[in-house]
Amino acid sequence: MAVVELSKDELCLSGIEEFDVMLGGGIPVGSTVLIVGGSGCGKTTLSMQFLVNGAKNNERGVFFTITEPLFKLTKNLEGFDFYDKKLIESGMVNLIDLRIISERLGLDTEKYTVEDASALLDILKDIADELNVKRLIIDSITALCYRLQTPEMIRDFIFKLGSSLAAMKCTTLLTSEVPPRKFQYSQYGIEEFISDGIIFLGDFERKGDLIRTFQIVKMRGASHSRTKYAMSISSKNGVELAPLLRARE
Amino acid sequence: MANVLIDGLKERISNAIIANQSIGIILPGSNYPDLIQSLFEHIRSNPDEAWVYVTVTKPCENLFNEIEFIGDLKNIRFIDCISRAAGISKAAQNCVLIESPTMLEKLVIEIMNTFRDVDVKTKKFLVIDSLTNLIIYNDPEIVTEFFYLIINRTRTKNIHMVSIAIEEEELDKYLNRLIYLNDKILKVRDSFI
Repeated sequence: MAVVELSKDELCLSGIEEFDVMLGGGIPVGSTVLIVGGSGCGKTTLSMQFLVNGAKNNERGVFFTITEPLFKLTKNLEGFDFYDKKLIESGMVNLIDLRIISERLGLDTEKYTVEDASALLDILKDIADELNVKRLIIDSITALCYRLQTPEMIRDFIFKLGSSLAAMKCTTLLTSEVPPRKFQYSQYGIEEFISDGIIFLGDFERKGDLIRTFQIVKMRGASHSRTKYAMSISSKNGVELAPLLRARE
Repeated sequence: MANVLIDGLKERISNAIIANQSIGIILPGSNYPDLIQSLFEHIRSNPDEAWVYVTVTKPCENLFNEIEFIGDLKNIRFIDCISRAAGISKAAQNCVLIESPTMLEKLVIEIMNTFRDVDVKTKKFLVIDSLTNLIIYNDPEIVTEFFYLIINRTRTKNIHMVSIAIEEEELDKYLNRLIYLNDKILKVRDSFI
C-alpha cells in the first residue's frame, strides 16, 4: 500500500520514543487504533500515557472507562510518574465513567437497542466536540460491544464513531480484550476491520517470567515497523520498548 | 599477596580504560573479590567518569557491605538483577532493582536510561558482572543476543564496557565467544604478577 509522507501536524505523537520511531513519527491524526491484548498486557497504561503525553503537549484528551470505576483508575494512575493531577484539575485530561453516562441517559446497562447505541454515540461525539479533544480513549471497546447486540450494530457504532472523531481531527484508541496467548484482535471479529490501526500487546514466558511484547500490526497511512518489541512498564517511565531478544522465544 | 594482586589489577584495568577500549576480563573465581576491589578503587580515583555497574553476581547490598567506600561514590549507579530474585525488595542507594536476571530487555532499557542523564562530554563506562552468571539464569543463545545488542548500543553512545567472565577449569564455549567480542581481553591468573 502506498504511503504518503505526513507532515508534523498530521501526526499524533505518542510521546513514547521507540513507539513513535516505529510509526515513522506518530499515529496519523484522526486514526482509530485498536489496542489489543490480554489481561495485564498494559492496554490501559499505554492508553493513559498516550493521553497524558498529549495533554502535556497542549492536546486535550478524554478517557472513557467501562471496565473499572474512576476511583480505581485514578488510584492506579497515581503510581506513575507521568501522571500529573493538575492535568485533570485543569481539564486537559478528562476521565469519564461511561456506565454513569449510560445510567443518566436511561439506557439499559446490559443491552443497548439501536436507539440506545445512537444516543450513546451522539453523547460521545458531543463530549468530544464540546471539550475540543484531540485524543480519545474507550477502555474497553470489548465491554461496549458486549452491550451492542448484533455484528451490524458493532460495525455501525465503531464506523460512525471513528468517522465523526476523524472529522474533528481526534485520534482514538480503543482497547480490545482478548484471551491470553491468542493471536486474535478482538472478541467479535469486527473491530479490527473498521479500525485504522492495530497494536498487539502480548506476553510470553521466559524461564517462568512473563515478558510483555508490543507489535504494530497495522497503521493505515504510516510506513511502520512490524517488528515485535519487548515492553516494560515502570512507575518511573511508564511504557518503554526495547528490541525483543528472540532466541528460543 | 592480595595487595600486590590488587595493585597489579588496578594498573592493568586503568591502562585498558585509558585506551578507551571495551574490556573483557577473564579470571578464576578465587580472584573475583580482588578484581572487584580494584575496579571500585579505580572508580573512586576517577570521580569525573560515570559508571553503571550491572550486578548479577551479588545483591547490591552485599557489595556495599563488603567495600565500605562504595556508599560514598557519586559517580556510580547500580543495576541489580539479583536482589529481587533473592527475595530482597529494598533498593540500596543509587540502585535500580530488576525483577529477574531473565528480564534482559528491561536491563537494556535501564542501562540506556541511566546513561541518558549523564553529560555527553563525561566518559561513560558500563560493567557487566558477570556474563557467567547471566548464562546461569538464561539460555546461552539469548545472552549472546543480549551481549551483541548491548555492545552495539554502548559503542554508538560512546560508552565503554567492562564485562567479566569467571573461568574455572575452562571457559564455557558461549562465554568464550562473547568475551572475545571485546576490544581487549585481560586474563587474570593467580601467578600473573
